Amino acid sequence: MVDSIHPTAKAPSGVVPRGPQPARLRLPRWGKRRLNHYTAAPLVLISINLLLFVAFFAWPAVTGLLYSFTSYTGVGDAPYVGLDNYQRLLEDKAFYSALTRTLVFTAGVVPLTIVLSLGTAVLLVTNYTKGKAVARIIFFLPWLISPIIAGVIWRWMFGENFGLVNYVITSLGGSEIAWQSNANLSLIVVIVAAAWGGTAFNMLLFVAALKNVPTAYYEAAALDGAGSWAKFRHITLPAIAPTTFIVVLLSVLGSMKEYALVQAINAGGPGTANNLIVQYIFTKGFQRAQIGYASAASFVLLVVLMIIALVHLWYNRRKES
Amino acid sequence: MAVTTAPQQPTAVRRRKKQGTTGELPKKIGASAIMWLLAAVYGFPVLWFLLSSLKPAGELFSYPLTFFPKNPTIKGFTQAWTSFDVAKYFVNTLIVSVSATVLTIVASAACGYALAKYKNWWVKAFALCILATTMLPGEVILAPLFLVVRDLGMYNSLSAVVVPAVITATGTFMFRQFFLTVPNDLLEAARIDGASELATLFRIMLPLSRPIMLTLAIFSFQWRWNDYIWPLIVLNDPSKYTLQIGVATIVGAENVNWSVLLGASVLSMIPLVALYLVFQKYVMNADISAGLKD
Amino acid sequence: MKISPRSWRWLPVVVATAVALAACGSGSDSGDSGSGGAKKITFWLSTAAQIQGYTDLAKEFEAKEGVKVEVVNQPYDGYQDKLRQSAQANSLPDVASVPSLDSLWINKLQDLSATANNETNKIRKDLVTEQDGKVLAIPSDLTAAGLFINKSLFTKAGVSFPTDPEKAWTWDEFLAAASKVRTATKAKYDLVYDNSPARIRAFIYNNGGKGFQLGDDGKYQKPDDATIAALAKFKAMNDDKVMPKSVWTSGADPNALFKSGQVVAYFSGVWQVPDFAEGITSFEWASVPVPGPVQATDINLGGKVVAFDNGDAAAPAKKWVDFIFQKDNYTKLAQSNGYLSVESGLTLAYPFKAKAALDAFALYNKSIEIADPISASGQAAGTKLILEGKAIQEDPTKAEMAKFINGEQDVQKTVENIVNGLNSQLS
Repeated sequence: MVDSIHPTAKAPSGVVPRGPQPARLRLPRWGKRRLNHYTAAPLVLISINLLLFVAFFAWPAVTGLLYSFTSYTGVGDAPYVGLDNYQRLLEDKAFYSALTRTLVFTAGVVPLTIVLSLGTAVLLVTNYTKGKAVARIIFFLPWLISPIIAGVIWRWMFGENFGLVNYVITSLGGSEIAWQSNANLSLIVVIVAAAWGGTAFNMLLFVAALKNVPTAYYEAAALDGAGSWAKFRHITLPAIAPTTFIVVLLSVLGSMKEYALVQAINAGGPGTANNLIVQYIFTKGFQRAQIGYASAASFVLLVVLMIIALVHLWYNRRKES
Repeated sequence: MAVTTAPQQPTAVRRRKKQGTTGELPKKIGASAIMWLLAAVYGFPVLWFLLSSLKPAGELFSYPLTFFPKNPTIKGFTQAWTSFDVAKYFVNTLIVSVSATVLTIVASAACGYALAKYKNWWVKAFALCILATTMLPGEVILAPLFLVVRDLGMYNSLSAVVVPAVITATGTFMFRQFFLTVPNDLLEAARIDGASELATLFRIMLPLSRPIMLTLAIFSFQWRWNDYIWPLIVLNDPSKYTLQIGVATIVGAENVNWSVLLGASVLSMIPLVALYLVFQKYVMNADISAGLKD
Repeated sequence: MKISPRSWRWLPVVVATAVALAACGSGSDSGDSGSGGAKKITFWLSTAAQIQGYTDLAKEFEAKEGVKVEVVNQPYDGYQDKLRQSAQANSLPDVASVPSLDSLWINKLQDLSATANNETNKIRKDLVTEQDGKVLAIPSDLTAAGLFINKSLFTKAGVSFPTDPEKAWTWDEFLAAASKVRTATKAKYDLVYDNSPARIRAFIYNNGGKGFQLGDDGKYQKPDDATIAALAKFKAMNDDKVMPKSVWTSGADPNALFKSGQVVAYFSGVWQVPDFAEGITSFEWASVPVPGPVQATDINLGGKVVAFDNGDAAAPAKKWVDFIFQKDNYTKLAQSNGYLSVESGLTLAYPFKAKAALDAFALYNKSIEIADPISASGQAAGTKLILEGKAIQEDPTKAEMAKFINGEQDVQKTVENIVNGLNSQLS
């Protein structure tokens, strides 16, 4: 494989080098713009998404935001109540416990999913493994399974009363484990199920990224006597850093919004111990026709997620420089 | 700018490989073993699911637990096939999925490229806007979104299912992150050669991103294939319904006919797996280098 | 440098797709007030069972009136939302069997008094939804809560069970019998109980309570002591010996648990009968009378049939509703769909092959006849509220009972939260 980013194949350092700076003497030709400053091209490129964003997200979202300042019930008029919904929300203990539970869930799922997806991606890309064709399908199938069916499957395995795992444990002489009556154990089951189902998505992103790393890097490192682990740490990880960034970000945002899978596995139980934030929005808001309240809670969630995203972006930019 | 490796290297590599083969074997065994172990862990629940779809209803919840069906039957599948107009719904879902996927790839590639390569402040702000679309739970904007769609005259048409779904933060950022790894000197060289920005995108950048396009195609297809509540609400004419709506009619209000539901779920997964096999094979075999080749 | 034509090849494809989709959409239109005089009406319903009964009637109707009825089976999940959005898009069906009325479109309903008051139909008057003399909805069928037992286990243990609802047992007697069966046969649990606010009403009524009733001020009242005692008793039963906690605290599926054959009894309702008839093959099951002391159960309405006023289609829509409820037609419908009848005095010959199913239906029909009038009060309250323009979207009973059984709060707090939760949706 030809390495053409640098004239000579040097053993790369830990950072993916950027290209040389653009030639300052050459003035670009069309449109009126400063050096390195284009307006027409990016505008055209983002136009489709911009239109869709405004029509199908921004406008409905603004409507939702306006509802959050009212006591709208889905029918009739929407009487203005100012910040009443937000006040009630921030005084509600159930909101905070749902939020913290969701953060705990996210803190459990995201690392597990990242490790598993990166691991499976590496295993599928490397030359050292045999039987990749079959493994590829097996890793992919869980992602296709809908949350309802996934709930049935995992409850069958970890059901407290007649589940497979408890059956095996009792057959071996142990005592049943309260997979559903114990809040933390129940959350662990959900975390494992979520990682199981979410692996394939991230795995595919990692595979595309791994395939993108020029093999010349690896060859050069091999010539220098680097072992597999060193190659992984110093070549692979930095090379796929942009993808890792987005995988982490999307996983965090996705798990913060988890609802269907939790519902299917333990219905937010036992009791309300595992009610996550979206379930809170549903039960306290939409299912009680409190559209205004639900909107307020959703926008608070948006602010939380935006903060998380910005922190992530800032941290990533710091890491790069 | 091509640099060919020195002719001596092959023999040196060969010699090294020969010496290293004995060291490679344990790595091969170890890696394969880990992969098979993971595959077993992932596959076990899936296997139970597939085997259960072959069980008659009475066996599904029997105790003590069984893995293999005692009286395997395809009744679940045949019932699912006849519960609703599978052929028509399949075609509708296919139309929706394919057109949405094509449009999504075009929009995401263009936008992702812009987010990666242009440093205007409003481009960066738009990146945050795109990210914001993943931060609201769907239910919040469902009702206002419905009104927008209705007012645009798209109610009861498949376009209402396709068009709002084209914008995706995942797809856009997939392309953005990919284009970030494409070195800027590629872009500069094209500019110096006098190519317009759009031409650069189409002729040079886009072909490089084929693995990303195919991966996004797999995702987008699956998302549209499994859409449920939105198509249910915006489609009035039952001849336009999608597969998931048909499957949901099997799920009762108070009790679920599990054997039929399992059968229907397995059937609806088959096209997705087929698509995945075809596309992913290409991605895996791709010999990509994000470099300048002449 | 010219832009290469190769890359723009995709553009026409994209444009063509977009155009095709737009054309796809605007072209067709469901014929609500379509071609002059409405030769076609749409009928929506939601059932996981067959729609054969309705499609057969539709054929006869077409032969008689010359109007085609398009029967559309909607999925239950999201059906109510779909009706609401269709109303907002002015595309309501002509006739529909709905889970509950919605104040958004209640003013678009036609008056079905002619059908409801028709003496030959003998539709039970207390079941129709009426407002200011206008009949808005007629239920297509009734559902009732009831008790199932694992007959094989009872036989194995040599314990007898009553079969006549007039000579039923009490809850204490039933629980004693169930425990005896469990210990004798080494089953796992005495009972599993559907996790639903409607179902728990039956338990409350049986134990002499009145449940959560609407007061004269239109708000829910604090329930009486018998109700509170019943709820406390229910919690005590959820001790993982009599009943497994996981059903009411974490949504475990009682249906699946019963089908495993490891549970002696299952409190659910009549809709399970067709499912059991086909789905339970590893043991024998039976329907038994609901335990007392008060002989009551929770009676609910199946789908509520309404006719919308859609211009040209209004008249044929009303005729279709009338057609469905004509005595002979309704008999055929109830038989093929396995409905509990809303018309009195019908002799129904259900097509079930399993004797257990036939016996079950006979038992349910009899139980409904002798049930205490309080049995239908749950659904009546809901209907009353809707007619006043309010609605209970989500009954907080489920969540509060889950917390109660999980030990997070005591019975007084639970009851208080339920009442407050219900009333907060009424303002």
